[in-house]
Amino acid sequence: MSEDRDNGRGEFVPEITAFTCIYCGYMAADTAGALRIKYPANVKLVRLPCTGKVDVRYILEAFEQGADGVYIAACPIGNCHHIHGNERAVARVRYTKQLLDEIGIGGERLDIIFVSGGMGATFAEAARRMTERVRELGPNPLKGGSG
Amino acid sequence: MPRNDQSVGAVLVVGGGVGGMRAAIDLAEAGLKVYLVENMPWIGGRVAQLGYMFPTHDCVLCRGTSDHGYGCTRPSISPAFLDFNRHPNIEILTNTDLIGVTGRAGDFTVTIRHRPTYVDAERCINCGLCAAVCPVELPSPFEEKLAVRKAAYKMAPRALPDSYIVDKVPRCDSCRRCEGICPTGAIHLDEEPYERGLRVGAIILSVGYALSDPTEYGEFGYGRYPNVIHSMQYERLASRSGPTEGVVLRPSDGKPPKRIAWLQCIGSRDQKYPYCSSICCMYATKEAMIAKERIPGVHCQIFMMDERAFNKEFNAYYEQAREKYQVEYTRCRISGIAEDPETHDLILRYPDERGRMQEERFDLVVLSVGARPPGGAADLARVLGIELNPYGFCETDKFAPLETSRPGIYVCGTFQSPKEIAETILDAAGAAGDSMRLLREHLGEYPSSREYPFLWKPDGLPPERDVSGEPPRVGVFLCRCTPTLDGTVDVDEVARFAQTLPDVVYVQPLKYGCFKEEQAAIRQAIVERDLNRVVVAACSHRTHEPLFQKVVREAGLNPYLLEMANVREHCAWCHVDDPHGATRKAKELVRMAVARVRVAEPVHKLAVRPVNRALVIGGGVSGMTAALTIADAGYDVTLVEREPELGGNLRHVYYVAEEQNPQRLLRDLVNRVVGHERIQVLTSTELISHTGRVGDFRSVLRTVRSDGNVVETEVAHAVTIVATGGEEWRGEAFMYGRDPRVITSKDLEEIVVYRPERIADLRQVVFIQCVRIPNGVEYCSRVCCTNTMKNAIRIKMLNPECQVVILYRDIITYGFREAFYTEARRRGVIFMRYDDEHKPTVRSVGPQLELVAWDPTFQREVPYYPDMIVLSMAIQPSSGTEDLARILGIPLSTEGFFMEAHLKMRPMDFTAEGIFVCGMAHYPKFIEECIANAQATAGRALTFLAKDRIYIGGVVAEVDQAKCVGCLTCVRTCPFTIPKVRYEDLGVGGIKGAAYIDPALCQGCGTCVAECPAKAIQLRAYRDEQIMAQPLGGWVIG
Repeated sequence: MSEDRDNGRGEFVPEITAFTCIYCGYMAADTAGALRIKYPANVKLVRLPCTGKVDVRYILEAFEQGADGVYIAACPIGNCHHIHGNERAVARVRYTKQLLDEIGIGGERLDIIFVSGGMGATFAEAARRMTERVRELGPNPLKGGSG
Repeated sequence: MPRNDQSVGAVLVVGGGVGGMRAAIDLAEAGLKVYLVENMPWIGGRVAQLGYMFPTHDCVLCRGTSDHGYGCTRPSISPAFLDFNRHPNIEILTNTDLIGVTGRAGDFTVTIRHRPTYVDAERCINCGLCAAVCPVELPSPFEEKLAVRKAAYKMAPRALPDSYIVDKVPRCDSCRRCEGICPTGAIHLDEEPYERGLRVGAIILSVGYALSDPTEYGEFGYGRYPNVIHSMQYERLASRSGPTEGVVLRPSDGKPPKRIAWLQCIGSRDQKYPYCSSICCMYATKEAMIAKERIPGVHCQIFMMDERAFNKEFNAYYEQAREKYQVEYTRCRISGIAEDPETHDLILRYPDERGRMQEERFDLVVLSVGARPPGGAADLARVLGIELNPYGFCETDKFAPLETSRPGIYVCGTFQSPKEIAETILDAAGAAGDSMRLLREHLGEYPSSREYPFLWKPDGLPPERDVSGEPPRVGVFLCRCTPTLDGTVDVDEVARFAQTLPDVVYVQPLKYGCFKEEQAAIRQAIVERDLNRVVVAACSHRTHEPLFQKVVREAGLNPYLLEMANVREHCAWCHVDDPHGATRKAKELVRMAVARVRVAEPVHKLAVRPVNRALVIGGGVSGMTAALTIADAGYDVTLVEREPELGGNLRHVYYVAEEQNPQRLLRDLVNRVVGHERIQVLTSTELISHTGRVGDFRSVLRTVRSDGNVVETEVAHAVTIVATGGEEWRGEAFMYGRDPRVITSKDLEEIVVYRPERIADLRQVVFIQCVRIPNGVEYCSRVCCTNTMKNAIRIKMLNPECQVVILYRDIITYGFREAFYTEARRRGVIFMRYDDEHKPTVRSVGPQLELVAWDPTFQREVPYYPDMIVLSMAIQPSSGTEDLARILGIPLSTEGFFMEAHLKMRPMDFTAEGIFVCGMAHYPKFIEECIANAQATAGRALTFLAKDRIYIGGVVAEVDQAKCVGCLTCVRTCPFTIPKVRYEDLGVGGIKGAAYIDPALCQGCGTCVAECPAKAIQLRAYRDEQIMAQPLGGWVIG
């Protein structure tokens, strides 16, 4: 486990995985960078062609490997490059939340956000909010100990 | 048309907006050289400013901007304008004006003048330091003055060319801070303008339009009242990439508006600008709907004269705005606005439909400004020697809608007439088609290839090395991008970490990986170190992946053996105040990329050599025009017509509102088609089956011979054009068919031509517009209003005493057709509106016909006893359209017309590549629009025909049929209905019926992969193994 699990002030720093499509989600992160909008450095992106490609297994695998939180950054509903991919992602998030509740990890560690490629500030805000939420929830219980 | 050895296989496209880009891509794909000249520093034009498009509400960032391949839904089609993936045949010349033209069609010499941008785009790394130190602030024209920018600036993060520029002001010469701070020395404030001569065979003008100036109308207080804005300002406010990320706030106090009014026809349909700007009704509806979606409880009211929703799916969109979104439409032209000086609220006074005065307050008023000829149109016309029409737009002939008055110079988009995006794209593809016909000897002269994910000129690549079976040898290249990346991330630390990762055999930091000299270093390392997998940790996949894919391919590796880690935009740039966290994250991103690339596999496309023939279905004006363009360009065409003779609806059009003779056009087209050596005409023939894929379709055609014998022929063709047209609906309505005095407008046209004496006897004629198919979907048939104007004017010309009454719902005389509406009123034609609650009724009373209509002004019924009632019947798709759609495997729209791949961006394509649609098979339209459409499909067809090889597949889903249980999950979940379960294929355990996904059709989203319960489908380049190989969860590094 990482020695960076706290930020030097004894505060828990969550590790978050975000699945994005190569269109809006990825582009919004690019825009946040281009505009130098700051957000915590504890979110890593996994690039997929579409959020319709987010497999339930990917999400579960992320938690199993110790992610404290997972979210999907999708195109706004109605604006998916592949028409309905983001709607499939919504359905899978709903299903996986139930699973996570059942196995005691907690569905609130999983979320989906909708951003257009131009919404850098919104993307950064979502990263901050997710970090805050997971920080309150504490470390992923699968990891045990203090992480 | 000149045919000599002197002609030049290059085209100058003037204007880098959506039309210019579309034309450039098609020309380049057909193997011609293209110079794309844009007078702004970046390409994109008006469309780049828009947030969303009507009626799809697609985000323009994704569908419409230049870094996105132009509305492509196919990942195998790469964007053609990215700095690092530019089409090899397109040269983009921004900040450049056209200043001289000599020569003639086929061989022009043009002179262009480049104004300096003071920044070398090839050395600009977009660090933004120049803008950060620049002391000069100016209002941003891109943001319509709603935001400021520096003198050193970039229009938008996704601007192309992807570079900052300096808009030099006098102060710059003494300041020069940007020049000093630029880390790559890309800024040169002493750069001089230069002129350059180019030889081209054709010129396409796509110079767009200007917004009308709302300050010309002082009564609306624009510029004086802070809460009066114009529609393009509203677009920027509502755009997700705008200054407020799409949050609309009142300029005076920054509060969200509760009541917004749109005022239509500001600078359109008035005394000074008598034409209709064609787009404002729809964009105002869109803006109101988006306001309703975003601002809870907002009241949106649109003040308009007619609601001109005259294209595919527009009427449904308008109905949705009214019914579902509760946008209020008020028929009234507002004559002025007053302001409450304390609250800055705006007060509108207007008479309602009954003439009673109303007063309402609004928080925000949006002026729906119209279209003007583009700035400098008169100068451009003088330089080019082309004529403008009385409104200052480009003059064209009705039957040659894309040709200017000078041969070899074509026009497309709003410079020809105000129009929406889809029509601009159709025009642009059509102008490209016209140019291809002119320069037929040069098609394919500049070959390009889509074999790989990057665009390239097929020469000089070494053979691809087979790495299968080799253990992974990963090379990691880390870009410093000094100082933007290594100023935050400790690149050396990341490099040391990368050394420790499994299978990494080589690590090398680079200063600027995107510079040519450093790419050579990557190639050299791949060869010398025998690398078979590469990671480049640098910037965004979106901008730079094609570049590095090309670099590894040049070193003999398949492009998919490269993986990038975005440690700039996604790391260094957003964690500038956290160098430790950023370095840690950069390591994690590199760890993920290495893990992903270790199991990467090459991806190849399938090459198809296109058959040298096109199939055109339908022998009307559209089909004949398309066939002629393709045949003239040097390719064979099979033209199929169901009827015994060619001509379609054009056979029954005797005169048009403009002055030209449609029967002459008919004779000309038929003669040229029948006499053309490359066109095989099959009349009394229908399509029976259509199989295969782009480049190699097989069709069976059934011909009924004059002797009654039926013959079936098989034809091989590379592309298919659907031009099956539409027809006037004829059914029972308003006593049509029961009383001979009730006729359709088509009948009237025959009477005017063949029995004009009958017109002389008429006392009164009533036209009823919008006669719809009972229980059918409501849509505007687009051509009827102008047809009625033409007929009403004819009647008035033949018999001025005859009273002509037109009962209408909305008058749809868009663009310059408004002149016919004005002319009809000038001649004394009476117009009376009706609506669904008050439809006119017709009955016979003794020998007389009685028509009762509701007069909305006097609020009472008015009886008429006309000699003739003329019905504007709906135009419906040709009979058999459903069957044809099934045979071709293409969808239909809600109105029953063929449904293209994308309403705005791909109006002539289908998702199934190689099949195109034009003319009334797409939607009701005028002859000139059918011709432009037909040219567009011909141009698109030529981009395939002119190629040596078409590449299909790539990053697509593949079914492992041995695992498939035939459960149909993929069939149900695919957003594009591509997967099929084929009975002849064997699934798991040899059961009959397994899924098959056609690589030529798959769009590569991977939705089916994620849903497949048997995990029998994998998406190439995104196989589960590759995704799951990455550390998806906890970070193991400190």
